[in-house]
Amino acid sequence: MVNTLTPTTTERAHSPGSAGLAVDGRSRTRRRQVVVAYLFLAPTLLFFAVFLILPLGFALLLSMSRWAGFDLGDIDPVGLDNFTDLFADGSTFLAPILTNTLLFALGTVALALAGSVLVATCIDNLRFQGLWRTLYFLPIVTTVVAVGNVWKYMYEPGGLVNGVLNALGLGSVAFLQDPDTALPSVVVVQAWASVGSAILILTAGLKSIPESYYEAAALDGAGPVAVLWKITLPLLRPSLLFVCITQFLTGLQSFALIIVMTKGGPGDATNVAALEMYRQAFSYGNWGIASAAAFVLFVVVLAVTLMQLWIFRRKGEDA
Amino acid sequence: MTRARRTHGLSRRHFALALPSALLASGCAVPHQGTGRPGDPIVLTLLSHYASGELKAALQGPVDEWNATHDRVKVRTRAVEFTDLLTTFMVRQAAGQGADILHPYCLWTGQLVQAGVLRPAPPEHAEEIRRGYGEAAVGSSSVGGRLYGYPTEMQTYALYYNKRLLREAGIDGPPRTWRELEEAAYRTSRRDRYGNTLVQGFGLSTYDDSTTVGQTLALLNSAGGTFVSADGRTTAIDSPAGRAVFDLEHRLVAKGASAPGVNVYKAFPSGQVAMVVSAGWWTGSLKPLMGKDYRDVGVAPLPVPEAGDQRATLSTGFMLGVNAASEHPREAWEFLRWLNTEKVGVKSAKKGAKATRMSSLQVSVGSLTGRADDMRTLLSEGGDPNLRPFLDALAYAVPEPNVPGAQQAKSLLRKNIEALWTGQQSVDEALWTTRRQVDQEVSRAW
Repeated sequence: MVNTLTPTTTERAHSPGSAGLAVDGRSRTRRRQVVVAYLFLAPTLLFFAVFLILPLGFALLLSMSRWAGFDLGDIDPVGLDNFTDLFADGSTFLAPILTNTLLFALGTVALALAGSVLVATCIDNLRFQGLWRTLYFLPIVTTVVAVGNVWKYMYEPGGLVNGVLNALGLGSVAFLQDPDTALPSVVVVQAWASVGSAILILTAGLKSIPESYYEAAALDGAGPVAVLWKITLPLLRPSLLFVCITQFLTGLQSFALIIVMTKGGPGDATNVAALEMYRQAFSYGNWGIASAAAFVLFVVVLAVTLMQLWIFRRKGEDA
Repeated sequence: MTRARRTHGLSRRHFALALPSALLASGCAVPHQGTGRPGDPIVLTLLSHYASGELKAALQGPVDEWNATHDRVKVRTRAVEFTDLLTTFMVRQAAGQGADILHPYCLWTGQLVQAGVLRPAPPEHAEEIRRGYGEAAVGSSSVGGRLYGYPTEMQTYALYYNKRLLREAGIDGPPRTWRELEEAAYRTSRRDRYGNTLVQGFGLSTYDDSTTVGQTLALLNSAGGTFVSADGRTTAIDSPAGRAVFDLEHRLVAKGASAPGVNVYKAFPSGQVAMVVSAGWWTGSLKPLMGKDYRDVGVAPLPVPEAGDQRATLSTGFMLGVNAASEHPREAWEFLRWLNTEKVGVKSAKKGAKATRMSSLQVSVGSLTGRADDMRTLLSEGGDPNLRPFLDALAYAVPEPNVPGAQQAKSLLRKNIEALWTGQQSVDEALWTTRRQVDQEVSRAW
């Protein structure tokens, strides 16, 4: 029943006349696969085009324009004036707004990282680990507005924190009203609220460290501090890198907690870039300034992220 | 069978393409606005901050009355909290979803006019507004001498004081000069051994822009100063009057008679503030909040720097205007005329007394309108005597500047006031920084 007159696929491929046909067939198949692949990707690509690329291009246009936000015909090109205004003498964008943004992000990362390493290490040695992880994860599932308001009440002159200080015989502190303590006070809350997700990632990282290393360290008589510095932290570096970068990015873009707790005050003591952008665009109708500020923040975020990746790679860790 | 499915049914590939397309199409579709059939009534939307409680009910009353008596034009209310109102205007307008009738805070009028959001009042309406309302009300609804809407709620600023706290400190009545104010503030303020404020002599508050700046601007006006120059392009805060106000506030904070971090809206009703400058709307909130303790609350005209000085205070307000993008401006203006100028009988006042629906609405929630005649009618019998000083102040109050960039100027002033109160800036630095920042922003806004 085999048709001996029809060449097999292999023969077709090797016969001089049919070589072109075979290549055509393969390229047709490949083209069809590519088309189908793009068709499947189309919704996502369309989504990105509509909600990412277009707004990005529009924001770039606005950053070099003056616009009140309503009529597209009113967009007035002003070149780099908005950027110049942001960094002009007397402008508050560089200091204290951008400085606050970086301090806020740095403070949050430092506290959240230190706290999460400590707690994750403790949890790793406890029973009922799932329970502890859940407890520490709870702030993540609570809305920022609720977290901010609760802490705001706790920080108030007659609030819980001052109550504790008074009970210890100490004077009250105007946590959110004093420009020197307002930013650190909000940083503590942001770190507290984000420590849960960091713990989740770090405990997973801790689980992946082979027990044999600890056994070998124990045989060599290494103490807990040496084990932490020589074994745990180096092997936890991929998780630490992830936590560090994501927390830093979140910190740089932080907005909700600050608007709830201090509205950027007192003065500009807790004002950050995202809050300033929001105000410039939606309260004052300065879309150009807001867009320019957004691009400056984008450059800062990019630079900081690349720097973090570079530092970790230098230490032998590929992100 | 496969062929038949391809011909008559929906193949998996078609389905895979059709589903996201349908989702995208439905997601991007314009919200349903009505049937669009000829003969259907025109539906006007009204966006305000009368979002909850008695404010919402008070506005809905006349709107329901209009809808019951008018077949061709219906009005639908939309409301958001005041803190979200400007943002909502901006976002909805940018999205092409602006309401037909807007109810903005007059501070934003210049910004909204410059952005082409508000439609100027037609001449016949402008004439009615000028004829029926006080100078401050007309001024706050105008930009560059042109009217953009009917003034609704008008607020003037006066001194609230706690009679009991003043009495306990041996003070007979409310202060009339700044010297008396300061003296009373020091005598009434109390703190515990940990530094917690038990009683603020004079309440200064960082609660929000309106609270912080309103207090300072009211005192500035009472000292004969102004925040923005007559042409609206520069600030006049760096004046002897401005310096006097900043000096006064700085002394009060430094000497412990004021605790700006305390929420004055909670502390005053709790008897923890002896005196505070605030607007008339507060009387309506204080009554239910304080219950029988409200009898301790007194309201007096704002103290002046020296005895015999001419009285002045701040006035702020809201207006009802028509969106420049509205497809039915004539109908919208007609509704506003009906609401704001047509006089109807007043149930609570003496027989035969008449007032506009808006004036009745405002007084029912413990507020004022810019129509002095209505206010006198509505307060003629059994009105709260604490509203009188606010009503009297309508005659001499200075409207809050509403130039383009006014909101930003106010926010910048607030930041510098807070920097002054918290010791970040001296009086000189605060004045100089405010002037430089506000001048820069206000000039850019033009």
